[in-house]
Order: sequence, then C-alpha cells, then structure tokens
Amino acid sequence: MGKVLMKGNEAIGEAAIRAGCLNYFAYPITPQSEVAEYLSRRMDEVGGVFLQGESEVAVGYMIFGAAGCGARVFTTSSSPGISLMSEALSYITCAQCPAVFVNIMRGGPGLGGILPSQGDYFQATKGGGHGDYRLFVMAPASVQEAVQMVMEAFPIAEKYRNPVMILGDGLIGQMMEPVEFPEDLVVKPTNKDEWATNGIGNRSDDSPNLVKSLFLDPVQLNSHNLMLKAKYDRMRREDVRYEAYNTDGDYRALIVSYGTMSRVCRTAIDFLKEEGLEVAMIRPQTLFPFPEEAVRDAAGKAGCQVAVSIEMSMGQMVEDVERSIQGRCPVEWYGKCGGEVPTPEEIMDVVRGMLKG
Amino acid sequence: MDPDAGNLLDIQFQGIVVIVGNYGSGKTEVAINLALACRPKADAVRVVDLDLVNPYFRTREARALLAGHQIELILPPATYLHADLPILSPAVAGAIRGAGHLTILDVGGDDVGATVLASLADAFRGQTIQMLQVVNPHRPNTDSVPGCLAMRAEIEAAAKMEVTGWIGNAHLMEATTPQTVWDGYEFVAELSSASGLPLAFITAPGALIGALSDRPINCPVLPIQRQLVPPWLKAETITDGEPDEPGRAPGSI
Repeated sequence: MGKVLMKGNEAIGEAAIRAGCLNYFAYPITPQSEVAEYLSRRMDEVGGVFLQGESEVAVGYMIFGAAGCGARVFTTSSSPGISLMSEALSYITCAQCPAVFVNIMRGGPGLGGILPSQGDYFQATKGGGHGDYRLFVMAPASVQEAVQMVMEAFPIAEKYRNPVMILGDGLIGQMMEPVEFPEDLVVKPTNKDEWATNGIGNRSDDSPNLVKSLFLDPVQLNSHNLMLKAKYDRMRREDVRYEAYNTDGDYRALIVSYGTMSRVCRTAIDFLKEEGLEVAMIRPQTLFPFPEEAVRDAAGKAGCQVAVSIEMSMGQMVEDVERSIQGRCPVEWYGKCGGEVPTPEEIMDVVRGMLKG
Repeated sequence: MDPDAGNLLDIQFQGIVVIVGNYGSGKTEVAINLALACRPKADAVRVVDLDLVNPYFRTREARALLAGHQIELILPPATYLHADLPILSPAVAGAIRGAGHLTILDVGGDDVGATVLASLADAFRGQTIQMLQVVNPHRPNTDSVPGCLAMRAEIEAAAKMEVTGWIGNAHLMEATTPQTVWDGYEFVAELSSASGLPLAFITAPGALIGALSDRPINCPVLPIQRQLVPPWLKAETITDGEPDEPGRAPGSI
C-alpha cells in the first residue's frame, strides 16, 4: 500500500489495526470522534471488535478487562473523556496491564472548547488518577508520526506492562496528511502468558495468573510501588525520545516545544535563520520519560541565553524544562490555550523580545 | 493538458451547485476555489457553509478571503460559530430560494454530512440544481470505482437528491505530482463512464498547472490555491492571473 491521504483520527484507527489491535472501546467526543466512526466500519471488515461504551468510565474498565486477558486493546478520547477514564488508568497501571490510550486534546478546563490544546500535559505526565503511577507518554507532531507512535505503543506497553498514552492536540486528529503504514513496526506480543488471565493453558505451574490492584498489606503495597518505580526509572534509561532541530551550530535561544506547536516553532526558526538569528529546538517525542539530558545539554551550550517552553497550555511543561536545565540559563514560557494556535510571527516576536530583554 | 482544447481553466457555473463527497475528499477547498474562479465573470457568487459535522477546517476559516472578493458567505450566527452542534441557520433556506447568479453549497462529509440536504427539500423544490460529488482516489473508501459508487448511493439516500456529476480532486497535499493529477484524471474519467454521469472538472495544485501539458486532459481543470492550511503554513495567494508559488516550504517534521 502506497501513500494515502488520511485525517489523523482515521490514521490512528488504521495504525492500531495494522499493529494487531482488534479491540477498540470508545465513546465519541470532539475532536476525536472520527476514530470511532472510522473503526465502526473497519473493525467489522477485519473481524475486530468496536464497542461503544455507555460512558468513558465504562470504557476505561472495558480496557482493563480486555487488557487483563492479554488482548491488545486501545481507546481514544479527548480531554474531558480522559478525565473520566483516569480512575481506570490508575487501576490498570497498578495491575500492570498493557493498553494504549489516545488523547486528542481540546481546550479546557471543564468542557472548555473543541479547538486544539495541549492542556492535558500534567494529566498525562504526572497522573490524572490517584496513586504513584506513570504513563508512558508519546507526543506526535504529524499524522505520519501519530501512525508510527500508535504502532510502537503496543509493544512498548507490553514491554513495560504499563499503559501508553498518545498525547495529540486537536490538529493531529483533524488535519489530513499523506501517510504510510510501515510493516516493520508490526511486533507480536511476547510475554502475555506470564501474566494475563488467559487460562492455565500449557503452563506447568498450576497457580493461575492474577490481575489485581488491591494490596491491603502495607509492606506488600510498598514493595509493589517500589517495583513500579523501578519500571518508570527503566523507561527513563531506555526509551527517551526527542528530535533536535538546528542544534548543530551556535544559537542564542532554545525552544522546547512538542506536537503540532513544534511545527509552528520550526517555521519560526527557519524564518529567524533568514534574518540571521539562530534558534534551536528540542522537541520531546516522549513527554514521560522527558528528554532531560537533551534539553540540559542544548540549554548549556555556550551562547544560549534563554530557553523558552512554547505550548498550547499555560506553562505546564515549564517545570520539566526547568528541572532539566538546572539553572544553566533562564527559562521562559509562551503559549495560548483557548484553541488559537500561536503563529510563526508571534513566536518570532517572542524570541526576539526575550533576547532583547 | 491539451493546449488546443481552449481555455481549460475557464470554469463557469450558474444557479445552485451542491458540493458533496466523503469526509476529507476536499469539498471545502474545492468550494472556495470554485467560488473565486467563477467570481470574475459572475454578477454575484454566494457560498453556503453547510458543513454541520466537521469541527475544524471549514469554509468559515476563509471568510475574510471570500469577503475580500465580494463573495457572500452564509454562516451560522456568529454566537454559534464555534459551537459543537449542527446548527442550520434559516438564512440557508433563504439563500437557496433566492439563489442569484451562482450559489455554492459546501456540504459536510459522507451521508451523515449530506443528511442536512433532505431537510432543505422545500427550498430546493422547482430549482435547477447540480449536485457534484468530489472524489479523491487517495482517500479511504473512494480508492475504487465501486467505492465511489457506494459513497454516491449513501449520499443520495441521505440527501434525498441525486448526484449529477463528478469532480476529480486527486491529490496528496504537498506530495502531489503531475502523475498524481494524470492518474486521478484517468480514475475519475473511468468513474464517469461507469456511472454515466459527466465529469464536471478536475482540480490540480495551482503550482503544477504549467507542468500538466505533456498529457491530454479533456475536461476543465480548476487550479487549487490551498486556503485551509495548518498554522505553520501560509494560505496560498489567490490571484486573477497565474497562480503564485506556495509561500512557504511545507512542514516536514
């Protein structure tokens, strides 16, 4: 299959099928409803299951059930819907079940609006639900990258036995771009017989696999949390991803930006270069684990006077940028979160202004 | 394109033109560019944003451009412009009943988007209407002749109106080449013979028009200057003469 022109939402649905996920539970919400619409037709064609839950709360537990049985399963929603799934996310993470959640973010808080936003950074990276848990969070900047990340998300979720969140803004879901579905990203699940409640099968041990999130013994619960923490530390060591842009030469400012916002920044950087002003960018592709070292190194380069976190949210990423940079240069913020996307010209003015100030 | 076949870019329509098609087939970009192309020779051009199902990239994003060319755009009331609700303004039926020289209806995608047309049956009664289905063979579900015909049947059933012709809109955004346009032309020509419905016109990116002369295209060609672009790209400049080159390199992250 060559290139096809797809809306991000359609491509996300198709990518999940190509990755071998034939279980999709969801509830419609703008701006991600096209995933459900696309899969209502496609899942039937490929012999998969699409079940619309009565709410996002129900969907969260449908995911838990299917994942606990060792099935590849995913859901998609948008900000308020992910809030409703947050309880289940905490349970699923504690019970160590792999699953993929896609959040096509809209403006918030509350019902907010239906236009693009990145206002769920905290929710995704610091946990929207209760307890000491983390999600593996990936942030695509194009429809093609969304395809790749969705396909990679399943093996990553299985590697860590932990949910993966794909965090895209409304534009990722709604815009159309030409895409391909790479065959080499299809990876079969390997470890589910070790933990999934899929029947005793040929296992020699006659003690059944148990999927649970209840640990009444405080010592046991503490050990469980330490084991989860070790897993999150392993994510930090093994699976940090980012893209560096214009970092080879000297530059006076560093932008940290992710998702479609980073594409606006990239255009701004290209125009500033034409004016003779060099600006670099680190684009985190994983938001947890955050590319701390890359941001630190880029900000610590001689001549870099300021780092600016540019987001479609009110500075939620700033603390991760500050924590990474550790005082090597001042850290600033610029963003909007009502649904308007800052323009390249705005970004250019912001960077020029910060360098003057 | 056959240079002896007259001015293939000279596309003129009159009366009511209803643009339908599957999601993402390019209806809105076609509607905007068609309105602009027809404007110089038309007394009045009006565009009706009838997309009640799509939350982003709607005709309303081009309202300043259309206003600048004295093209009237019928929209939901300003208070509801960003509403996540299917709002059908009474002004739409009025615009259909009082259709002037050219009224273009930009309808939402698939049969779901076309359902609104059935509710306007009274306004359409007694009028001559062209309902043109936009086809991009690079989109899912319309990559084959049977797929396009199935989509046509679903749209007709929902709209309670019949498709009267095809618009070939083969493209892959910035990855479009002359070959994309030629292959798309052959596809939609085959669709036209299989369905017995005429091919109204095909589209091609404005910047590629000059590169299409090596092979014959025996139907009008509407040059497209992209207007519904993401925030990191600039809309292409509309001119009355030769199309400009795109203002910026496409985003490539």
